[in-house]
Amino acid sequence: MVRHTTGRRKQEMKKMTNEKNLQVTFSKRKNNIFKKASELSILCDVEIVIIVFSPANKAFAFGNPSVESVLNRYLSENPPPMSGTLQLAEAYRRSNVRNLNSELTQVVNELEAEKKRAEDLRKMRLASQAECWWEKPIEEQSVEELQRFKRALENLRENIAQEAQALEFQSSPQFGTKNDEFDAGFGI
Amino acid sequence: MTRKKVKLAYITNDSARKATFKKRKKGLMKKVSELSTLCGIDACAIVYSPYDSQPEVWPSPVGIQRVLSQFMKMPEMEQSKKMVNQESFLRQRIVKANEQLKKQRKDNREKEMIHVMFQTLTAGQSLQSLNMMDLSDLGWLIDQNLKEIQKAFEKNNNVNDSTTQAPSAPVSGPVLTNPNLEFEQLFEDQKPGTLGFGMNMQSQQWPMDMLNNQAQTGTGTGTGTGTWLPAGEDMILPFGENQPNAFWSSGFFR
Repeated sequence: MVRHTTGRRKQEMKKMTNEKNLQVTFSKRKNNIFKKASELSILCDVEIVIIVFSPANKAFAFGNPSVESVLNRYLSENPPPMSGTLQLAEAYRRSNVRNLNSELTQVVNELEAEKKRAEDLRKMRLASQAECWWEKPIEEQSVEELQRFKRALENLRENIAQEAQALEFQSSPQFGTKNDEFDAGFGI
Repeated sequence: MTRKKVKLAYITNDSARKATFKKRKKGLMKKVSELSTLCGIDACAIVYSPYDSQPEVWPSPVGIQRVLSQFMKMPEMEQSKKMVNQESFLRQRIVKANEQLKKQRKDNREKEMIHVMFQTLTAGQSLQSLNMMDLSDLGWLIDQNLKEIQKAFEKNNNVNDSTTQAPSAPVSGPVLTNPNLEFEQLFEDQKPGTLGFGMNMQSQQWPMDMLNNQAQTGTGTGTGTGTWLPAGEDMILPFGENQPNAFWSSGFFR
């Protein structure tokens, strides 16, 4: 589950002193830069390369279409001619990127929907707690309360078992009527 | 800041694209510069523009040369280890996003089940709207609760050192003939408890620790709230794929 961190802070523009924070900051910001570079290259169809060295001197690089191709372009004086095969490969690559992008967008949207659902559930929970105040943590309940709770739970479990049996019965071949309504809970 | 959600696709409108390019390029360069300063590291950026023959660079042509030669000097393996292109980067992002999605769905499912459980216990909601999967997950949740209650009883026994509070002792009080109706009435005389339960985002301890207890054998003392263990990473969750028990088949993620 998401844990909310200390939030956005205004950072002074000089080298950070706290080693741990520095490492975390590097990681986060580097990822964000790559993301921004990726977005820019998609939105405006431009070639980009970004190279950063980590505090431990590891090299991280992002390039669109690739680090090598953009570096070659930058370092060589004459732009390489676009052969027929290269053009085909490039068209294929572009189509690939488009598809990946669509897929990413879809997953991100679904994630956002689930996060919203989480928030709704949280509110529902708070509302129901405000009404049924006995829904407190087991730790905070007295022995008597716990015994009542236990009884209620055991009762509920029995009801569930009965309900489950009923469902199974309904879906069995002898009845046949409820088959199509039966939820794919069995993986059918 | 426009804060409008931009669709991540090539901008066909020429002027809009040019404006976006200028803005985002500027922002990107700034971010690279900030990273370099804050973390005291070397970096470089090259952005080719369709509007200019010369690419825009950071920090400067000379600076770039320095970083590039530093990069080129490295063995091939070191260069390519953390190198990504557009495609591989997008793939990585998709994988990460899918993981987050899966996790969030699991979590939501659990919260949903807790809600259903209390709805059936107190508000008398019927079980008929639930399918087999729901019933099985609900059953699991109940079992977890019962385990916790049992633990609480045992702990109480150890503390009190008395024999009058054995878990199997008959309950004094009204028998629950209709649990749904009478349950609320039973608790009318109880004083309101604290509401630090379940959905508290900061310390989501109860549901997570319930699940945690199934996975861990020992009972440690948590931080701050007595018997609660902090949520661990690899716990066996019911609302996922790894249910060993045949009856409680949970195929939520098919």
